[in-house]
This record gives sequence, structure tokens and C-alpha cells, in this order.
Amino acid sequence: MRRRSAAIVALLTLVTGLGACVNNRKSGDDAGPDVDRKATGAIASDPRDSTGPAPEIPGASRGGTITVIRQNRIPHLDPQRVYSFVGLNASQLYARRLTTFKDDGQGHVTLVGDLAVTPGTDVNKDCKTWEFKIKDGVRYEDGTIITSRDIAYGIARSFDLALTGGPTYIQQWLADTPQFDTRFDFKSNKTALAPGLSTPDEKTLKLAFAKPHCDLPFATSLPATAPVPAAKDTGVDYDKQPVASGPYKITKNTAGVEITMERNANWDPATDAVRHQYPDRFVWSFGPDPITQTNRIIADSGADQTAVSWSGVHPSLMAKVVGDPALRSRTIQSPTPSHNTLTINNQRVTDLKVRQALNYAIDRDGLIKILGGETAGRPVTTLMPPATIGWKDYDAYPAGRNGNPDKARDLLGGKKPDLVLAVADSTFGQEVSIHLRANLEKAGFKITVKAVPADSFYDETKKKDNPWDLYLGSWAADWPSGASILPVLYDGRAIKDSGSNNGTSYLNAPALNAEFDRTLALPTEQQGAEWGRLDEKIMREYAPVVPLYVDVVFTLHGSKVGGVFVDSVFGSPTFVKAFVRK
Amino acid sequence: MVRFLARRLLLAALTLFAVSVLTFLMFFALPRDPATAMCPKNCDAARLERVRDELGLNDAKAVQYLNYMKGIVAGRDLGSAQGGYCAAPCLGYSYVNGEPVTSTFTRVIPVTLSIVIPAALLWLATGIGLGTFSALHRGTVLDRMAIGFSLAGASSQLYFVGGVLLLVFVYHLRILPYPHYTSILDNPLAWAASLILPWCALAFLFSAVYARLSRAQMLETMSEDFVRTAVAKGLPRRTIVVRHALRAAITPLVTTAGLDVGATLGGTVITETTFGLRGLGRTAVDAVKDGDLPTIMGTVLIAATFIVVANVVVDVSYTLIDPRVRLR
Repeated sequence: MRRRSAAIVALLTLVTGLGACVNNRKSGDDAGPDVDRKATGAIASDPRDSTGPAPEIPGASRGGTITVIRQNRIPHLDPQRVYSFVGLNASQLYARRLTTFKDDGQGHVTLVGDLAVTPGTDVNKDCKTWEFKIKDGVRYEDGTIITSRDIAYGIARSFDLALTGGPTYIQQWLADTPQFDTRFDFKSNKTALAPGLSTPDEKTLKLAFAKPHCDLPFATSLPATAPVPAAKDTGVDYDKQPVASGPYKITKNTAGVEITMERNANWDPATDAVRHQYPDRFVWSFGPDPITQTNRIIADSGADQTAVSWSGVHPSLMAKVVGDPALRSRTIQSPTPSHNTLTINNQRVTDLKVRQALNYAIDRDGLIKILGGETAGRPVTTLMPPATIGWKDYDAYPAGRNGNPDKARDLLGGKKPDLVLAVADSTFGQEVSIHLRANLEKAGFKITVKAVPADSFYDETKKKDNPWDLYLGSWAADWPSGASILPVLYDGRAIKDSGSNNGTSYLNAPALNAEFDRTLALPTEQQGAEWGRLDEKIMREYAPVVPLYVDVVFTLHGSKVGGVFVDSVFGSPTFVKAFVRK
Repeated sequence: MVRFLARRLLLAALTLFAVSVLTFLMFFALPRDPATAMCPKNCDAARLERVRDELGLNDAKAVQYLNYMKGIVAGRDLGSAQGGYCAAPCLGYSYVNGEPVTSTFTRVIPVTLSIVIPAALLWLATGIGLGTFSALHRGTVLDRMAIGFSLAGASSQLYFVGGVLLLVFVYHLRILPYPHYTSILDNPLAWAASLILPWCALAFLFSAVYARLSRAQMLETMSEDFVRTAVAKGLPRRTIVVRHALRAAITPLVTTAGLDVGATLGGTVITETTFGLRGLGRTAVDAVKDGDLPTIMGTVLIAATFIVVANVVVDVSYTLIDPRVRLR
């Protein structure tokens, strides 16, 4: 999952997010992250939740062009190859998928059917066979009806190694092995269906897995399930101009410079519960660095009045933006699901009391100041980020905002554990290591800091035999379910010699692993609350990491832009409700 | 002349060949596996190896180099993962940009040419004009002012000058749009309006050298005997200055100009970054940042080509300007 790019988001953007909705702020409050956010999530059971049209946005009007300014290009437009935050949110405009999230931008998400009538039916109630019925009236940009065969074709082409880059859940689950490309050769037979996939008729898609995967409805929310017309599949060139199924189609793509998306007349709002089609076009403009973006949007002149800065406010201009009340209505500030921890190597630090003491010792507030303040991070004490379905707020080791070194010292009972803290040799890594070391030494630890080349830092921590006790880790799940966080990071059976998928905590507790199995077998609707309970149980009984903070997004838009908010699933600006003010 | 050209072009070709070998070796010196760009997040070792096979990265180094050179001369088949057949000159496929390197260059080289060539004409005109003016009015206040202006340019940095120009003309006065490249073939007015600020910034910085050089050369030339003869013959001042004196003074200026333009064409990174334009320099820097080896190799080759060509042009132009120079 997106650990490396999540870390890059934390390092490079360093932005703060405020709730896009003004009414979320308490009166007399200074602009700050929505600290009262109570995230909820659900899976829609009523088919009416999945039908359109999406409710009108008050104050929205049709017309205009919204420009999204980003420093780097979007790596892929081909829906089966999309896996970056920007690609995931940009593709919402032109590529519909089987399921998607209804999101209010405040942490309340509902999984609904997008091309499918409902978010999937568990045919035998064993999470092994799933059926989706495709809606009527869903069409490509050229008017052709979208059928289940098109979605099956999209999934089949994702088995081709030439088209790599996207998520691999569905391929791995269908082929029942991570080496899925060896089980199905797309290149030699493009009309064949992938193993386990069947299309009994044009409106029905069935997926049959060897093992239960109750998270399938979430996995289908990724654009990997976007339909592709076989006759128009141009292989690697499809990346330039994929055929649209969403409210916008790609009309011009100057690679690395600009992408223009215009209204798709064949998108029927009555079939879409989530998206709108207010602006005439979206223009994605690549190249300007964050400082230029911030200055242009502040200047708010000409076409920049309808522009949004994707890269966020540069730290050097943060004080200027935060201190200017005129800019308040044009800032977007929101916490994201990118979760950061001080990960403990549980193979080496085996004493629970030591791990608990570590939790008491850390000064989260000070750490967030180093990041850039509340516009950069928000402290967490849970293993899952807020906005995960079933998230429960708790603090297993209440140490106040600045840590409690005395309590830590008590727990250690006079011992002075000697620990090695590994950090990436970047400016950020250095600053953080100084802070953490000071925290821990005040609590009685003896800390040695080891700097590791930033390029290989994460790969090195993923090696089972790494020689360190503590290192920073981060995780951004691909969907807001505990199933894509807790067992992935804390199930010891996933530990490998290198490239380990078990986060980097190397926790391996058989009793806990059994709990994961039990919870994963529950029906999807019941899992949410269980994961919330398990989150707290893991922290209290094992304390495998010290949860630190979630990244916050803080960015600006022009004075004529409305409806842009930060999504609760990926923590990036999303444009499904965007409009241009008259 | 023809023999001279043939010999120079042969030397140029040999230079470029040496550069290509060196850059190709660089491909293997950098600790970056191109396959990971194709298969970034969820790749395990076995699948990564198959991606490497797909990209032809497991062939012998010599084989890969020969394929690369063959591609430049005659085009080659890159396989389905890299867009199929790539026509000559084929500079490989960028896994990071998802397009053939030649496509990237077709797009970014016009931007760099649009920035550098008009800017070069402007800085030459400004520099030589100021220098000649100073030489003819030596010792006066105007002379001092002209030299002061050019010194200010020489001691400035482009990111500062560019930033100030943007602040004044784009953000405050709002009389110019934010620089955004439009092809001259699409809309010459928009092309010029976007690029006038980079031209002025570059001209301000570069003209200094030419002003000083041309001032010194003109002063020396104006004191030559043949100029005194021309004055005695009663020729108009302008004819003396332009047709006689300047022509004699211009040789070192041509050398400097050739080197400057050649080098700047190779990549005006700071200009492009300051003004948010995506030219060859920006592309090269981004390629280094992203570890995009095919693009890096391509930009090094192109930059070397520009400099080599500029040198040949400079040599040839000597004969046209100065009849005392004989080509051998």
C-alpha cells in the first residue's frame, strides 16, 4: 500500500487542513483542524443510496473552468494503472468504478454502488463469491452502453505486466497467489476472462475466490474496476487518453504539461449518486512549484481565480497565509488518513512495559511543531486513523499533549534500556531524531541515533533482521476499513525476510493472529465496530508502536472556486462537487 | 570550405559518440533500478524480475548499448511494455513519463528554443549596443551609466531578477499573464507575452559581458589606423562604426556568443524553474530527481549536440566575418 508516497506526502507537502465546511468551526474559534471530527463509515444497504442524482450543492452554478495546479505530473491516467493520490482523485472525474464512496469531507463515508446497483452481494454468505449487477443507462463518452463484459475486460488487462502500476488486490484474490501474472496470460488471449471472473449476462459480474475476502466491495472502489472498451484498448498508449465513463472526458493531454477534461454529454446524473458536472471543464496544469502556486493563488488574478493549488501551501508562506484573514475563506484544511507512528521492532524490544513506557514518553505536540504546527499534523493515540469505519477514539497511555516522562520512568522501574533509533538522513529525519531522543532520554532511556540513507530507509526497515529498535513508519490504507490496516500491519504471519508486509513492527502474537482471522470472517457490516475494539485491545495488551500523528492537508484555492474538499479516504483534494462561483 | 566542414563534422560525430558511451555507462553506475518505476508499490521480487525481462534490462550491457545506438540511427522495437516500434532517432522509452523520450523532446525543445534564441538576440543587441555606445561616448556620464547598468546585470541572479519581474508585471500591475508556453505557430502574441519576461531577465544578465567586451574591442578598434583613414576619407560616422569598426571588433563576441547560446540551449534550468516553463533544462533536472535514466541520457546527448553544433557554426562564421581567417 502507499507507505512510501504517504511519507512523501508528509515530508513534501507539510500542509494543514481545515474542514471545508465553514459551519464546522465553533464560534470565536481560530481556524484549526476539525478537532471534533467524529468519523463514521457505513456500507449502503438500501439500493436508493446508490442511485442518482446526487443532491444539488447550494450556491453551485454551471459553467466555468477550474484549473488544478500541481508540481508533478499525474503518473498514470489508465484506470488499471492508477495508484497515486492524485491519480485516484483525478480519475473520479472520468472513470467510474463498480463501487465508490459518498463522502461529506468531514470523515463520514458511505460505500455505495457506482456502476453497480449495490455495493456487491455476498452470494453464499461466505465472502468467497460476489455478484454485482450493472446499472441501466451507464454509457461511455461515445454513447456506447457499459456492460459487465467491459469491466471484466478491464480486470483481465490488469494481469498484463506491461500495464503495471495499479493495485493488485483483485488480481491476487482471483488467482489466489501474489504471482497472479503467471496464472493468466492476457497478452496471448485478450478475449478470455480472468480466472474466477464470469459474466453470466451483460448486466451481471461474478467474482469467485478460493479464500474469503470480505473486503471486496471496498477493493472495487479503486479505479482498477473501471470499464475499458476492448476495441479501443491501445495498451501502454491508453495512458494518454482513456475512454471516459464519468462526467468528464479527456479531450487534450500534453504529457507532463497540461490535461484538459471537458463535459461528457453521455454521463447520466440519474445513475450517479456521488458526482456532479458543474464546471464546463477541468484543466490540470503541471510544473509550478509550491511557492509559485501559493503566490499565484494569493494574487488571485485572471484565470487563477478559478484555480486550486494541489501541492498545498509551502511552509515558508504558511505564516503569511494563516495570518491573513482575507484568505481564510479560500483555504482548505483537513486531517488525512495518512497515519504516522514511532514503530517499535517487537522482535528486539520484547518487554511490554518498555513499549508502554515509550508510549508515555513521547511529546506529540512538540513533534507536530517541528512538522509545521497544526497545519501539518494532528496527534493520534489510536492505531487506525480517524475516518476509518468503526474508529473509536481512546488513549491507552494518557500522557497529555506533551508526554509524561515521569510515568514512563515509573514503568521502567529503575531500568535504563539501551535502544537504537534509526532515522532517514534527511532534514526532517534529523530534526525528528533530536526531538524524540530528548523525549526518551528524559524518561530514562539511553538512545543511539543511526542515520540511514533516505532513499533506502523504508526498504531497510522492511528487512526482518534490521538492527534497529525504533524507526518512523507510516501507513495510508487504500480504503477506510480496519481490515486494510490492522491485520496488514500487525499479523505476524505476514512477516517475510525482506519486503515484509507486516508493517515494520514485527509483532507476532498467535492469540492476536487468531483474532484477526475471526474478525475477517465476520460479515462486512459488522467488522467496523470490531476493528475499533481490536485497535484498543492491541494497544493495551501489546503496545507494538507509538501512534504519533496523521498528516493534515492545507491548501488554497481562488476566490471563484467552490465545492472543493479533502476526501476522507485518501486525504487529497477531490473535485466531484466542485463548481465555479458566478 | 567543404573539406573543412567535413572534417569538423567528423570530429563532432566522434565527440558525440564518446559522450554517448559515457552516458550509457552512467546508466549502470546509478543505484536506480528502472524496473521499480514500472512496478513501484506492490511489487515483489519475482514479479520485478519478470518486469526487468520485459524491459530488456537483463541483456548484456554491450547488447543494450548496441540496441540503443541502433535505435538512434535506424529505429528499433521496444516491446509492448514500451510502446512497440520506436522510429529513428529512438532515444528509448521513459518509464517515468510513460512516453518515448523523443516525444518528450519534441515537446520541450521548442520551449527552450523559444526562450533562448530571442533572448540571445536581445542580449546581443543590448550588449553590443550598450558597449558601442559607451565606447563612442567614453568618459561621459552616459558611458558610466551604461556600464553601471551592465554591471548590475552581471552581479544579479536570475531567480532574483525573474522573481522581481514577476512580482511587478504579473502579480501587482497585472499587465502580463503568468508565463505559460504557447507555440508561436498557434498564437504569436500569446507566445511573446508569456516569454517577454524571461527574455528580459536573461538579456539583463547576459548583456553585461557583451557590453564590456564590445566596449573594449571598439575602443581598441576605433584607435586603429584604418579607422583614422576612413574618417579622413569623410565617410559618415555610422558607416565607420558599423561597417568597419564593429566588423573588426566582433570576432571575440562571436566566440562568446556561440559558447553562451550553445550552453544555454543545453538547459536554462533556473530560468525555466523561475518562470514555470517546461523546457529542456527542467526536464533534465526532473529526470535526475526521478532517476529517469533514458531521459537523462537523451538530455545529455542533446545538450552535447547543441554545444558541438554551436562550435562548428562559430568556426564557420569567422570566415564570413573576418577575411583574414583562412579555413584549413
